[in-house]
Amino acid sequence: MYELQLNHNTPVDANMKSIRFILICLVLFFIIFPLFMMTKYSISDRESIVTGGEYPEPFFPFKPNLEMFEALSIRKDFVGAGLTSLWVGLLAVAFSLFLGAPTAFALARFRIPGVAVLLFFLLSVRLFPDISAVIPVAELLLSRPFSLLPPVVLVGLAHTLLALPYTVYIAKGVFESIPKDLEEQAHVLGAGKARTFLKILVPLALPGLGAAAIYTFFLSWNEFIFAYFLTFQGTQTTLPVYLLRILSWSPQKNFISAISLVICIPVIIFTFLVQRYMREGLTAGAVK
Amino acid sequence: MPSSIKPFYLLHKLKSNLFTIGFFIPAFLYLVSFFVIILVFLLKFSFSEGIPFLQLLSADDFKAALWRTFWFMGVGTPLQLVVGLLLALLIQQSFKGVGVVRSFFMIPIAIPALVTAIIIDLVFSYPFGPINDLLLGRHGFFPQIVSVPINWSGSEPLSLGLAILGKTWRDMPISMLILLAGLQTIEREQYEAARTMGAKSWQEFKYLTLPLLTPAILTILILRSIENWKEFVFPFILAPAYPLLGVLIERLYHVEQNPALAASVALCLVALIGITTLVFTLITKMVRKYLVRV
Repeated sequence: MYELQLNHNTPVDANMKSIRFILICLVLFFIIFPLFMMTKYSISDRESIVTGGEYPEPFFPFKPNLEMFEALSIRKDFVGAGLTSLWVGLLAVAFSLFLGAPTAFALARFRIPGVAVLLFFLLSVRLFPDISAVIPVAELLLSRPFSLLPPVVLVGLAHTLLALPYTVYIAKGVFESIPKDLEEQAHVLGAGKARTFLKILVPLALPGLGAAAIYTFFLSWNEFIFAYFLTFQGTQTTLPVYLLRILSWSPQKNFISAISLVICIPVIIFTFLVQRYMREGLTAGAVK
Repeated sequence: MPSSIKPFYLLHKLKSNLFTIGFFIPAFLYLVSFFVIILVFLLKFSFSEGIPFLQLLSADDFKAALWRTFWFMGVGTPLQLVVGLLLALLIQQSFKGVGVVRSFFMIPIAIPALVTAIIIDLVFSYPFGPINDLLLGRHGFFPQIVSVPINWSGSEPLSLGLAILGKTWRDMPISMLILLAGLQTIEREQYEAARTMGAKSWQEFKYLTLPLLTPAILTILILRSIENWKEFVFPFILAPAYPLLGVLIERLYHVEQNPALAASVALCLVALIGITTLVFTLITKMVRKYLVRV
């Protein structure tokens, strides 16, 4: 994402300014309201959420507390789900980069006849809607020989499938932006193609590849459909699916909100960090 | 080239390019294998014995789900366009703090869809939830609109409405970004020219901004329609009693243990998306012709 150039000097009436201000406030309220409610519920005491109709739900809980989070931290199934999500995400990143970076490199650097056809095939799997593709994928991965693999690997494979096209796309752009002279210099100094790749290109491509890795990780962290189908039977599962399972027991509002909040926090933190990081990374590249 | 030499030539080309090929073969094989597996499976199961596909066309469940999904798309797509346009217009011009506002506008897409759906479920809970409290007039500052709490998930239009609400909320940033990019392409000079001719803001919008935004608008209509056809998470959580096509697929696969029927519906979905894309592409072509003529 690059800095958008905004129209700086278009004349705007005072009336329009106030309308715009009011609308922005309304939209911000609309956006923040659900997140506020989730956070509020997660720190609520029982009286604030189980009203029995005697009084309206308070805007702020009567006795806010962190009981729910304490309870979660000692639940084995919750911590297990968190670790599973973590491992699945890391696996997805590893597979995507190992498969995708070389592919992107080849696409960026070598003259391949029929590049367009290749690109089409690489992206073609994403033409299927998730909910349609999951049926064949689940049938395949849940039967022998794949069913012998641990569920973490199965879900990781599925997430790699989802993230790979985008990873290749980003990595291709990254490699295209690295000047060829560097490689030529390396050749002159006697390095073979593999060495050039590992010792020169990969370090330079790291920021862009890092962005692809982060995107893949959060795609995997938030992903629900494939994780749900692939871990339908069995105890080990990812956080979103765990959340769904808890939901089917009609839990208290504060419990379910606490889990939801924990799922969200890494994503929100990273979104803000990544925005800043990407802006810095790109300007540094421009100066070079 | 003499035919006796051709195979050697190709082999030589292959050997010297082994490195290149080795580089992209893994990802290529991985993705293409899955593509083939998915396609073959969906086709095979839809046309296996008993031809579940034909069963499908007469099943009431299926027709109901199809109709509901069509409505979901028909209401959701324009709504998502309008909301995206509103957001894009609000942050189009530079003002103090526009960067911060833009960051906030991007938040919905960072929240997992499942979490958003659950929050909506909690907020609209029946019989005692914040929205019902509000509508029953339990809070002093808001008048009473209903006398009994509303059962949101018990009513088809309401529960689907909530699903649309959730989907729209979550995908606002996407429409906003596309429209914002479209707005950037309109040169400032056009606005200045319009002003010198005495155009007011709403006239500028109607005769200048909207027509020039048509490509972006059409893009959004296509993308959103596709997204709405295949929506699963929001209807799954908020309207399970009134399944859309995606929810139906899950139900057939897990609850009714019928992978063949699930695959048929899945194939149907793919076909519907293909048809929609085709229709919109044709509409885009027609609109382009019309614009050029004018």
